[in-house]
Amino acid sequence: MRTALQLAIDLLLSGSAELKDIVSVTLRMTLTSSVAALLLGAPLGVLYASARFPGRKALIVINRTLMGLPPVVCGLICYMLFSGVGPLRHLKLLFTVEGMIVAQVILLTPIVTGSMETYLSGVVGPIRETARGLRLSRGRTFLLTLNESKYQVVSTYLFAFGRAMAEVGAVAMVGGAIAYKTNVMTTAIMMYTNRGDFTLGLALGILLLAISLVVNVLAHLLQRSPA
Amino acid sequence: MKKTLLILLALLMLMNVFGCASREAEPAAEPTPTQAPAVEATAEPAPAEATEPEDALNIAILLEQDDAMINNYSLLAVNEAAPFVDADGNAVSDVAINTVGAKALVDWMLGDEAANLIANFGVEAYGENLFYLREDRPVSSAEIPQATGETGTIRLSTTTSVNDSGLLGSLLPVFEQEYGYTVEVASAGTGKAIAAAKMGNADLILVHSKTQEEDFVAGGFAKVLEGYDAERLTFMYNYFVLVGPKDDPAGCAGAGSVKDAFRLIADGKYRFISRGDLSGTHTKEVSLWPAGLGITTEADSVKNYTDWYTYSNAGMGVCLTMANEMNAYILSDKATFLTFRANGGAIW
Repeated sequence: MRTALQLAIDLLLSGSAELKDIVSVTLRMTLTSSVAALLLGAPLGVLYASARFPGRKALIVINRTLMGLPPVVCGLICYMLFSGVGPLRHLKLLFTVEGMIVAQVILLTPIVTGSMETYLSGVVGPIRETARGLRLSRGRTFLLTLNESKYQVVSTYLFAFGRAMAEVGAVAMVGGAIAYKTNVMTTAIMMYTNRGDFTLGLALGILLLAISLVVNVLAHLLQRSPA
Repeated sequence: MKKTLLILLALLMLMNVFGCASREAEPAAEPTPTQAPAVEATAEPAPAEATEPEDALNIAILLEQDDAMINNYSLLAVNEAAPFVDADGNAVSDVAINTVGAKALVDWMLGDEAANLIANFGVEAYGENLFYLREDRPVSSAEIPQATGETGTIRLSTTTSVNDSGLLGSLLPVFEQEYGYTVEVASAGTGKAIAAAKMGNADLILVHSKTQEEDFVAGGFAKVLEGYDAERLTFMYNYFVLVGPKDDPAGCAGAGSVKDAFRLIADGKYRFISRGDLSGTHTKEVSLWPAGLGITTEADSVKNYTDWYTYSNAGMGVCLTMANEMNAYILSDKATFLTFRANGGAIW
C-alpha cells in the first residue's frame, strides 16, 4: 500500500504523457456520459413519476429491468452494432471515446430515470396539492417539481458520475483499451495487472478514488452554499 | 481541468504527509514487541539466503529452449474482400479495411529498421533476447508511403505477449514518427484477436498460433500483399517456457523433454493453470499433454481433471499470478514471464 501511494504521487509529479492521456480520456468520457444520461434520464423520471398515461407502469418495469443490465452485455451489444460487419458500422464508433460514451449513456440513463422516479413518486402527491391550491399552470407545476427535487438531481448525478468512472466491462469491449486513444483508468488498471505490475495498478486506483473524492467534496460544497 | 488536477495534487500531498507522520510514529508506538524479532533472528541464522534471492516469486522457469517450445509470430494482412458476415450470417460487402496502411506497417516490420530493434529488444533490460528473428523470414525493402488522411489510422489486432512485453511500445513510435501513421493496438489472446479481424475490426493481425492462422487464411480472411508470396508472414519467434514452483515437486526440470514434463505433471496430478482462452499459448499447451488424456481447447475436455487442471479463461499475467499464488505449473511465453518477474509479480 505504501509503495503504491508513493508511486501514485511520483506518477502525478512525473507528468507522464500516458498518464495525462489516461486521466483526460477518463474525465472526458465520464463527464460527457454522465451529463448526457442526466439530461436524458431526469426528465423521463419526472414524467414517469408525475404524468399519468397508458403504458406508464410497463415503462417503469422495463426501466427497472434495464437498471440491472450487466455492463458486459451492454458492451457486447455495442461492440456487435459498431463492429466492422455490424449494422451501425458506418458511424465508425468502435474503439472510439464516442462509442464508449454511447455505451455508458445506455447503462446510466435507466439508473438516472429510476432514481428520479422513485424519489419523485414519494413527493409528487403533496406538490400536486400545492399546485392545485395555488392554481399553477402545468408548466409551472413541472418547474416546481424540478425545484423540489434539485438535491435529488445532484445526488443522482454524482451516482451516475461515479458509476461512469468506475465502469470497466463495457468500455473495455467498446473502447478496446487502446493506448493514447481509449485507455481509461479502469482498463489501464486491468492492463497493468495483466503485466504483473500490481503496484502501478494500485497507484492508478488511488488516483481514481482521489478524483472521485474531489468531485464529491465540490458537490457537497455546492449543495451547502444556497442554505 | 487544470484546476481539478491541482486540487488532486494538493490532496495527495496531504495524504503523503499524513502517511509519513504515521510511519515515523510507528517505531515509537510499539517498543514492547521488539524482543520477538530479535529472538527469531538468532534462532534462524538466515537460511533464506540459500535460495535465489533475485525475486519474491514462488515460481520460476523450469524448462526452456526445447524444440517443441518454439513460439512463432506471424503478420497477416486482412483481406478487404474477405467473406465477412454479420451476426446473422448475412454477407457484408462494404467493410472498411485500410490495406494501404496494413501494407505500410508490414513492409516496415519486415524491413531493416524493425529487424534491428527486434533483435536488440530486451537485451539491455533482461540481459537476453526476448524475441529472435527467423532466418527464413520474408524481408522487405519496399518504399513505404507517407500516411494520408484515409490511410493514416492502422488497426492492429494482436496477442498480449508482444504488447505486454513492451515490444510494440518500442517499435511502433519509431514507425509512426517516420511515416505519420497512427497505429491503434488492440491486444487480446490470439483467438480473440483473430475473431476481431473476422468481424472487420482490424487491418492486420500479429499472432502466434499456426493452426488458427491457417484457418484464418483458409477462410479467405487474409490477403497476399504485393511483393510477398504468402498470406502468413512468419518473421520472429521466441520460446514458450514451463514455469512452476521453485521446489518443483513433479521434477519437471530434470525431464528429458517438455512432453515428458507434462506427463509428470499429469501423472502426479500437480496443479496446472491453463489459459483456457484459445490464445496461442493455450493452443500450444493442449498440444503438449499425453494424447490419452484427450485435452483440447474445449472446456468440456478437461471436466474430469478439475482437481488439478484449472481452465482459467484469463490473460497471461492473471494466470501467472494465479500460478504464483497456488504454487502451480503453467506454460508461458518467455517475454511475458520475464516482464512479469521484472514488474514485481508478487502482490506485496
